Amino acid sequence: MKKNGVKMIKINSKNVDVFYGKKQALFNINLDIEENQVTALIGPSGCGKSTFLRCLNRMNDVIDICRVKGQIIINDFDINDKSCDVVRLREKIGMVFQKPNPFPKTIYENISYGPTIHGMAQSKNEMDEIVETSLKKAALWEEVKDRLHEPGTGLSGGQQQRLCIARAISVKPEVILMDEPCSALDPIATAQIEELIDELKKDHTIIIVTHSMAQAARVSQNTGFFHLGELIEHGSTDKIFKNPENKKTQDYITGRFG
Amino acid sequence: MNLILFTFIVLLGFTSYYFGRRKAYTIQSTNKRLTALPQFYGYYLAIWCAIPAFIIFSLWAIFEPTIVKLLILSDYSNQGYLDDELNLIYEKTKALSRGQFTGEITPFIEASAEKYLSLRSIAQSSKAVILLSIIIASVAYAYKKISSNSRTREPVEKFLKAVLFTASLAAILTTVGIVFSLIFQTIDFFKVIPLFDFVFGTHWYPAKAFVRDSSEALDPTMYSDTFGAVPIFAGTFFIAFIAMCVAIPIGLMSGIYLAEYASVKVRQYAKPLIEILAGIPTVVYGFFAALTVGPFLKEIGNSMGLDVSAESALAAGGVMGIMIIPFISSLSDDVITSVPQSLRDGSYAMGATKSETIKKVIFPAALPGIVGSILLGVSRAIGETMIVVMASGLAANLTLNPLESTSTITAQIVVILIGDQAFGDPKTQAAFALGMSLFLVTLCLNIVALRVVKKYREKYE
Repeated sequence: MKKNGVKMIKINSKNVDVFYGKKQALFNINLDIEENQVTALIGPSGCGKSTFLRCLNRMNDVIDICRVKGQIIINDFDINDKSCDVVRLREKIGMVFQKPNPFPKTIYENISYGPTIHGMAQSKNEMDEIVETSLKKAALWEEVKDRLHEPGTGLSGGQQQRLCIARAISVKPEVILMDEPCSALDPIATAQIEELIDELKKDHTIIIVTHSMAQAARVSQNTGFFHLGELIEHGSTDKIFKNPENKKTQDYITGRFG
Repeated sequence: MNLILFTFIVLLGFTSYYFGRRKAYTIQSTNKRLTALPQFYGYYLAIWCAIPAFIIFSLWAIFEPTIVKLLILSDYSNQGYLDDELNLIYEKTKALSRGQFTGEITPFIEASAEKYLSLRSIAQSSKAVILLSIIIASVAYAYKKISSNSRTREPVEKFLKAVLFTASLAAILTTVGIVFSLIFQTIDFFKVIPLFDFVFGTHWYPAKAFVRDSSEALDPTMYSDTFGAVPIFAGTFFIAFIAMCVAIPIGLMSGIYLAEYASVKVRQYAKPLIEILAGIPTVVYGFFAALTVGPFLKEIGNSMGLDVSAESALAAGGVMGIMIIPFISSLSDDVITSVPQSLRDGSYAMGATKSETIKKVIFPAALPGIVGSILLGVSRAIGETMIVVMASGLAANLTLNPLESTSTITAQIVVILIGDQAFGDPKTQAAFALGMSLFLVTLCLNIVALRVVKKYREKYE
């Protein structure tokens, strides 16, 4: 999407290196993410695409031995800077994981979790409204509106993943990170999630890691190709899939390796 | 004699294993395919050795003493002896034959003892002969029978299954046996002491039962107001409550620290250190409570003008709590660690802090396991004996003042069963009644614990 013909850059990463202990996992990544677009990160297993994704909301902090170098600038602010408040950052940048991970609570509590810890609702009515809009946005409302107080773990895999998406959007994040969100789902649930992603990009910037080239081609406007910890090529999805510059990208996309 | 026989059978077992395997190899070398690996043929033969041996050993163990006794006492039949007297004669005979008889030796008994010895040696040698001939016959039969297409794997597997089944059966039957021994003594007790008096009576003074001379007839009325168990039930739960007040907060918090906050290095050293607490014998805790904590509390209390008994419920309960800490902390640490990392990630990704994540996601998810560990701690507290015997006093006071001494079920059982006692005496049987109540209480606790864990398990996933 272009505003006045200029691409709006939401996230700007400069010279990002990531180390797990002594092993370097990412080498000098420079990648710009456009606002209100879907950016797909593709590449063979272990290429570092998930690691990069986890840099964007500092989830790598959770791993003791992980160190991140370089700048990741979101809204003119370097999130790797010491002054960055991780709680605020993660409120702005939501995440959906590979395996659906609803909390062992009711559907309602799963959604109200984020708004509660960020103090977003002043009253029960407000909270009800947040829960309803989040579930509606995640295209789950019709299926669960009568059983909001049943455990979220009782839903099917596809529903659980949409519940996790609803949970992520409940705090109105600017960016949503998705780490192979469909890899544990069947084709029908996958199609529903992909449709949802297309819908969500109106309000959110989406970055999705995927193993499925077809999925990347279907849902994304931009694509980055990672290989062995390096960003080999990035650009518009059309260009990457139809006319890649790099031989490795072409080989990967045509299924010659990976 | 039995030992030599046993060694011989074991050697025979190994030999038959060896022969079975060798036969299998021989069959194999003639280019025939075996139905099982060669060692199964070996095991098969060894089983043919073990089962007859086991049967004969048990037959002798069951019937030999009875038959020998019958033969010895047949000499005394028709002489007008009572059953008790006959038993006494038999015991004297056995003692004399072992050279341990100290009383007056009559010629009758001497003759019996000689007969006893000769009968025993006949029994033993007949056992040896029968055993060896049957085993060798059965192994030889099996050896001849096995061929390239005989089934050896299935019998061996079935045998192993039977052995494992017997082992688990033994554990269960022992429990059942314990329960029954409790039940019968308890029933006898309640024939003398009304159940109502036991459950609702408020005065526990079993020493009073000593006054009775055993030759006198049993007069139930003299036991009224002697076996009222309310004070010791109250004491038991009170001390357990004090213990849990100490153990639950400290144990849980240290468990949470170990699981969520401690670095790998700290955890590596701290966890074994806490678990060492669980390895300290309870006697040691007991004199820590009785000689250190008790007097210390008394001194502090006195300096504040409080009347503190040197043996107080507080000292016993507090030290018991310390003893239980490692159970709760170690178990809840395990439970919390096993909460999937994906839930933590999900919570952190929402912007939750560590404490929010623990409070709202991890703790609820781990709750069934934590409740289980707490209930386990409660059963420990109720069943704990040594600390209360040493530190809480033995007088069964009905009180809710933690500074006074109280007594518990376990401590009273110890008091009753130490020193002189007579079977069939209500005082001794009172111990069984108490044991039965203790058993029922812990049984209920375990059932509740299992229910709770089961109810929440589905939420766990």
